[in-house]
Amino acid sequence: MIGATVTESTGITPASAGKPAATASVSPLRPIMIALEWFGNLGSFFWQVVQAGVTPPYEWRELIRQMDEVGARSLSLVVMAGAAIGVVVSLEARYSLAHFGAKSLFPATLVYSVIEIMGPIITGLVVSGRVGAGIGAELASMKVTEQIDAIEVSAVNPYRLLAAPRILACIVMLPLLTLAADASALLTGWATQAMVEPLSFHQFINDGFYGATLNAFLPPTFKTAVYGLIIGLIACFHGMRTHGGAAGVGRAATNSVVLGSLFVILADVVLVKFILAVFP
Amino acid sequence: MSRAARLGGFIVLTLGILAAGVFIIGSKHYLFSSTYQLRAQFDNVAGLASGADVQVGGVHSGTVLRIELPHVPTDKVTVVMELTDATHEIVKQDSVASIETEGVLGNQYLAVSFGSKGVPEVRDGETIASLPPLEVTDLFKKASTLLDSGKQALANTTEATAHLNSLSAKIDAGTGTVGALVNDRQLYNNLTDSTAGLKATVASAQIGVTSFRENMEAMKHNFLLSGFFKKRGYEDSETLTANAVEALPAEAPAKTFTYAVSQVFAGGDTVKLRNEKVLNEAGQFLVSAPFGMAVIRVSAGMEGDSDKDLVLTQAQAVEIRDSLVKNFGFDDRQLKTMGVGKSASGNDLPGAGQVQILVYPMGTKAAAEKREPTAPDTEALPAQKVPAAGEVKPLQR
Repeated sequence: MIGATVTESTGITPASAGKPAATASVSPLRPIMIALEWFGNLGSFFWQVVQAGVTPPYEWRELIRQMDEVGARSLSLVVMAGAAIGVVVSLEARYSLAHFGAKSLFPATLVYSVIEIMGPIITGLVVSGRVGAGIGAELASMKVTEQIDAIEVSAVNPYRLLAAPRILACIVMLPLLTLAADASALLTGWATQAMVEPLSFHQFINDGFYGATLNAFLPPTFKTAVYGLIIGLIACFHGMRTHGGAAGVGRAATNSVVLGSLFVILADVVLVKFILAVFP
Repeated sequence: MSRAARLGGFIVLTLGILAAGVFIIGSKHYLFSSTYQLRAQFDNVAGLASGADVQVGGVHSGTVLRIELPHVPTDKVTVVMELTDATHEIVKQDSVASIETEGVLGNQYLAVSFGSKGVPEVRDGETIASLPPLEVTDLFKKASTLLDSGKQALANTTEATAHLNSLSAKIDAGTGTVGALVNDRQLYNNLTDSTAGLKATVASAQIGVTSFRENMEAMKHNFLLSGFFKKRGYEDSETLTANAVEALPAEAPAKTFTYAVSQVFAGGDTVKLRNEKVLNEAGQFLVSAPFGMAVIRVSAGMEGDSDKDLVLTQAQAVEIRDSLVKNFGFDDRQLKTMGVGKSASGNDLPGAGQVQILVYPMGTKAAAEKREPTAPDTEALPAQKVPAAGEVKPLQR
């Protein structure tokens, strides 16, 4: 599945579209080669975006528009997802801890699981679904209607104008959205617990953050900037390199969401280990 | 709402959450309050980790910054802790740091005790004294020793119980002295018999004493001895003071009869009345006029032995009383005696004794003998007298 989508989306020119299907059955190393090609193309795309982004003139207006699109407009969705996760974790943790007679550890369990794991990953997945699909579809439709070519022709770098603001907006907004998700999850988690048995919010916060360090709070929150980079980069990459009319737009949107979500989770595996090593 | 405003609101909200999180966590680590550092050295920190709580008087007041291993084997492990400035007033140079455990298997924390009053405050970075941590393994070792000694004590107790058991078995079986005492019925019977005998003996002794007293009484009236008792004036010393008063009443007497002892008695040292008719005047007065109280006061002259004179005057007063009671009919309970022995005061006939019969009006009481020279009593006396007078008056009406 991944191999197939990668195959289709890597073709930059329409002429190369027929080739992979013919050679796929020939070599067993072909999927690996395709994957490596995809990574190579993604890397060069990233490099072009960075080059275009760091050199003036900067597209401030587009950056603000994208930050609003990625951040503020995703807030309600992220808050709702966080609230649901808070209720679920609260119920589950309470049930599990009661088994061990460790209900007094409930606030700490909820705070740690939300801040370190649930908040970042849920934000990453929700934003990948909403923003990744949006960016992928928008850029893909611009591509298939040759608007990007028109921009290029008018001597404006499409990487600077289209890709860089979107990717930067994702990088900046993801940690902020994570904070919103954390806050809403903790609130609903506390409310769920308080409905079962009395627990003041002050005591909940006091017990929950007992022994917590900034190392337990800031790195998991700001690692979502990496999620933002992954989501924005993959969505822009697929959107700007799609082909084939309306079907191409659909493929670009799908690939943006699927690969974005997958790489968010995979990145988390690496980031957890990295954070534990660097911020003990 | 414009796009910029919406974005601004979003950024402010989420950064506010970030600030709150940083502040909540930071305040627990005193990132935003002024602190000072202290050091303490231990042979063994028993698993204490950096970031652990530091408690002063059981209150979370700081954190363990780091734990430094020594560079030389003979050195100790140094714990560097950070305390809030608020503790500066109670943590002094004689404060002691100790590593404690929350519960039995809980987290380790560092406890710092209060310092003494008057001891200088600690300076930043100073090293304070420490107590070695109480490790659970040590506790188990001690508990094991304790259990061993407990076991030994139990063995000793078992042995002692066995001895007691054997002893009580022997007693029960009647073996040995105690056994014989406990089990011999004959011994008990003997004891009962002895008690009964003793009781009978006491009864016989009582009968003996009664007969002896009767014999003595008879002897007093025997012609050989009656002279002695008659001369002495009394048969039994108890009769001397049977109707005696210690002092005269406070009131003035209604009538006083005064005689010289030689007038009344056959001699200065005898109780034999010279002539009972001398007392007629006094006796008739007592019969004719109702009186509250009358006192026969007899005093001796200044000659002779004081003790003997006292007994003599008492006996003389009793003799006069007996004579008056025998010859005149009146309420003899109101007639009192008073022998004063040697008395120089108020004596009209110097060198000789005096007999006075003092008759007091109705309502007079011999309260004088209970009077004591203490202030509260003398103050209370008039108060007691008022109702006494009130009681008497209606009777007179």
